[in-house]
Amino acid sequence: MTLGTFVRKNRPRWQQLEGMLDLMEGRAPRSRERGFLQELSAAYRATTGDLAFAQTHFRGTTVLLFLHQLVARAHNQIYRARAVTLVEVGNFFRKEIPQAARYHLMAVNWAALIFLTGLMLGLSVVQFDERAASMILPTPVLDSIYSGHMWTGPLFSVVPAPVASTYLFTNNISVALLAFAGGLSFGLISFWILFFNGVMLGVVFKLCANYGLLGPLLAFVATHGLLEISAIIVSGGAGFVVANALLRPGDYSRRDALAIQAHSAVRLAVAAIPALIISGCLEGFVSPSTLPTGIKIGIGLAMGGSFWLYLLGGGKKAAAKAGP
Amino acid sequence: MTTTRTADLELPEEIELQLEVANVGSRTLAILADLGICGTLLLSVYLLTTLFAQAAGDSEVTRIGSHLLTIVLLVLIFAAQWVYFGVFEWLWNGQTPGKRLLHLRVIKVDGTPVSWIDVMLRNLSRPIDAFGPMGLIGLLMIFVTPRAQRLGDLMGRTLVIHETPIDWSIFDEAGAEPASLVTAPSIRLTSAQWELLHRFLNRRPELPRDVRTRLASSVYASLKPLALGTDLELSKLEPEEWLVEFARRT
Repeated sequence: MTLGTFVRKNRPRWQQLEGMLDLMEGRAPRSRERGFLQELSAAYRATTGDLAFAQTHFRGTTVLLFLHQLVARAHNQIYRARAVTLVEVGNFFRKEIPQAARYHLMAVNWAALIFLTGLMLGLSVVQFDERAASMILPTPVLDSIYSGHMWTGPLFSVVPAPVASTYLFTNNISVALLAFAGGLSFGLISFWILFFNGVMLGVVFKLCANYGLLGPLLAFVATHGLLEISAIIVSGGAGFVVANALLRPGDYSRRDALAIQAHSAVRLAVAAIPALIISGCLEGFVSPSTLPTGIKIGIGLAMGGSFWLYLLGGGKKAAAKAGP
Repeated sequence: MTTTRTADLELPEEIELQLEVANVGSRTLAILADLGICGTLLLSVYLLTTLFAQAAGDSEVTRIGSHLLTIVLLVLIFAAQWVYFGVFEWLWNGQTPGKRLLHLRVIKVDGTPVSWIDVMLRNLSRPIDAFGPMGLIGLLMIFVTPRAQRLGDLMGRTLVIHETPIDWSIFDEAGAEPASLVTAPSIRLTSAQWELLHRFLNRRPELPRDVRTRLASSVYASLKPLALGTDLELSKLEPEEWLVEFARRT
């Protein structure tokens, strides 16, 4: 059989398969009828036959390339991942995220330790020499603190709360995702994000304390601070899991260790996203408000506490039930 | 000939699939196309927002509208950075608009379709891959790794393949043409040679003159040995006419 006759004879079947794939790539096969799936499977098998024939007789042709691609495409659809169901999304948040958090607890602890080290350093640097603050904080913030006012007041009176919240949470999620992806830089970027945020907070706290602003600062930070910092720490911890896979792959090849650990740790970065949306909304709506500081601290502790309770205790019952 | 890297996959049907791994050029072009789409969208919403902000202050309605637009803009900026690539690659089975334009597709290294976690991993690492001038890290990784995987591809266990579009018309033409009128013994071609010949003859009318002559002589040079012992062997025809004559004798 020449190439020409081969193509003319079999091309209608390939076109039929292509048509069916076009349909399926748009929608899950569940909506298709049984007959359609049988037809698809028959066309697929016939085309793999054509591919085998072409591999023997028509090496080096574009037709062979095309058949490779067509079979790959059909194979993709026939062996496709099941569509994501609501149950799976539920399981992901209810079980998989907390399980991953407990599994990678060591890395999260390291992330927390690095953040706290930065915090301590920030506090002691300002204790030692107040001028160090000018290297870290932007001038408007400094000026405002020196004159004995919170810098947040004017800011939040100009920008309406929904806009501010959106800005805050998109920004914070970017930082958290970068802290995770930064694991690929052998953890340097993750380290820097955690450490620098710790230093900033330390410097701000000590400086505000020096100028008698500790009360207002606490009133502002209390609601959202704990949740926001926890989310960044968890995401940075996920970054350290990735970095650890690169630095100490253990029994696996470096490439496999990276893929395996990243697939598992990304759950922590996902956990940070809703937490940061909530903390951003709290920071935009509640933090600048005139609620009594006691209530704000209460909300803050409840939010941060439930985040950690969820990560450290969630999905345990389900895991026990699933066990033998 | 440029060298193309291929990825070999083994299917459960015991067929070895060879797919062409996408090269740096087309991947860069695809990213530029995607950035262009995002940029255009962002710019238009930005312009709309500033227009609204200038008109705002007159009434409650325009002020709320302006705030809403600002929120939309903020979310879009975020989405262009972190969501656009992932969501398209997830829903469009490994393609973004830019990738579709350049016939690229993301698949898992074992040939199965990508899941949402795979595409999320390969796209979360974009800022790291784009590090350095012109995305130096990602570029280097694509050059160095055998299957052109940047860091995100390694993390997500994915690779980007190129799906070659095929010129089917050469087969129609060949069928329509009457069999040889000359009674010379017919020449046997391998299927690759047959395709080479007919793809050239088919593309001939669209080619600029200089390219046409250059290609003709290069195809001529590679097919000439096959004409040994036929009346074409000593023919003094120009390469292009020679090829037309040659095609009639196969």
